[in-house]
Amino acid sequence: MSYLVRYLLADVLRGQRFLPPLLVYGAVLAMFNAGDAGPPLSAYAGSCAFLYPAAVWLTVVIATSEDPVRRAVTVVAAGGWGRAQAAVTLLSCLAVTAVALAAAVVPPLVQPRPYPVAVVVLGFAALLVCGLTGVGVGVLCARPVITRHGWSALTAAALAVAAFLFGQVPPIGNVLGALGREHDLVPNLVVSGVCAVVLLVASTVVSRTLGPRRD
Amino acid sequence: MVRLDRIGKRYGRGPWVLRDVTLVVEPGEPVVVTGGNGTGKSTLLRIAAGLSRPSAGRVTRPRSVGYLPERFPTGVKLPARDYLRLLAGVRGVAARWDLVEALGFVGDPDAPMATLSKGNTQKIALAQALTATDLLVLDEPWSGLDAAAGAVLVDLVAASGCAVLVTDHHGHDLPGARRVPLGAGPGGVVVELDRVGEALARIAALDGVRDARAVGGGARVEVEPGHSDRLLAEALRLGCSVRSVRS
Repeated sequence: MSYLVRYLLADVLRGQRFLPPLLVYGAVLAMFNAGDAGPPLSAYAGSCAFLYPAAVWLTVVIATSEDPVRRAVTVVAAGGWGRAQAAVTLLSCLAVTAVALAAAVVPPLVQPRPYPVAVVVLGFAALLVCGLTGVGVGVLCARPVITRHGWSALTAAALAVAAFLFGQVPPIGNVLGALGREHDLVPNLVVSGVCAVVLLVASTVVSRTLGPRRD
Repeated sequence: MVRLDRIGKRYGRGPWVLRDVTLVVEPGEPVVVTGGNGTGKSTLLRIAAGLSRPSAGRVTRPRSVGYLPERFPTGVKLPARDYLRLLAGVRGVAARWDLVEALGFVGDPDAPMATLSKGNTQKIALAQALTATDLLVLDEPWSGLDAAAGAVLVDLVAASGCAVLVTDHHGHDLPGARRVPLGAGPGGVVVELDRVGEALARIAALDGVRDARAVGGGARVEVEPGHSDRLLAEALRLGCSVRSVRS
């Protein structure tokens, strides 16, 4: 599995499609931290809300980095769709974790207010939950689940917006709400964390099941 | 060894791309699948390689499979050497640059594969597939290769000790190979019947019938073109129902 992830990473880095989601998210982070971002914990709400769609986008980029024919070669070399799709999910999770870590340490470095370690850890956990949810949704929006670019983009946009439409429901809305109130964050993070992991596993299983049927 | 047992493939409720194909490929006896365009050769290979799930039938295949697609993509940014090293790692074997050299590779192994010619890209794709240890599934492996590389490929395939399944349009000679034609032969008509029952033996005995097999509750009959009308009339007279007629 480690070679599979390394192969995918090398391929993603050689292409340049990973840059737009990272640049857009970097710009959003810069915007949030240009002035006073507000009280430490609630300052993370904005970067959490934007990490979710950025993670969806980045995951779609990773899942579709290989064209379908080269993907077929990789699937056979890996010994089946299951391992190949698990590698996509794993690499996406690693990438999003790195982005979440960066987004968690930027405010304590540039904001004038003091950021206790506990607040940074909670902020990182909230970013991670939102990012991993994005990975789960991204896997569902990419090949082999959705094979056409147009539908993929439309579905990703619709699911990104849908997470904010229903108020404070897991896995995104409740975390953003708890960050804003600076209250009840830990129990909400646990609920959303479980949701994110279930979504990750379910979306990977869906993609490995649909891969050989669509082919 | 790979065993395909009465496999069929269709997408959704579309027409059958492959129907009722049974095939066993063992090491030492390469199988060359032949047939015209659109007879399902590539689909059969994708099922054998484990990429595509058959809509009917069963497949058993070994663990280590090498797959060569019909057209390896052209715009790959990874260099050839990195691609082979990483994919060999995925398989858990050592990279085999000697295979690339044996095939007469010309080009920069550390430049993006997009800069290589079609033939040299094909050599990299072949070297990737040939590192498998149990089964080789090669779709048009001679495509784009010069004569010398084509001859080396025959030797490499024979020396691999794997079960080998290939398609070929140009009559290349693999020693000891068995040729398996797909679809109707030239000019043949395939008639699919329902409600056949006892009538199958009488239909099989009609003039011009090349092959008649029970499939599920019905039958698949292949007949010479000049005899197809008489076969249809006889089948209807015997109480069968005609499901499809293809030529």
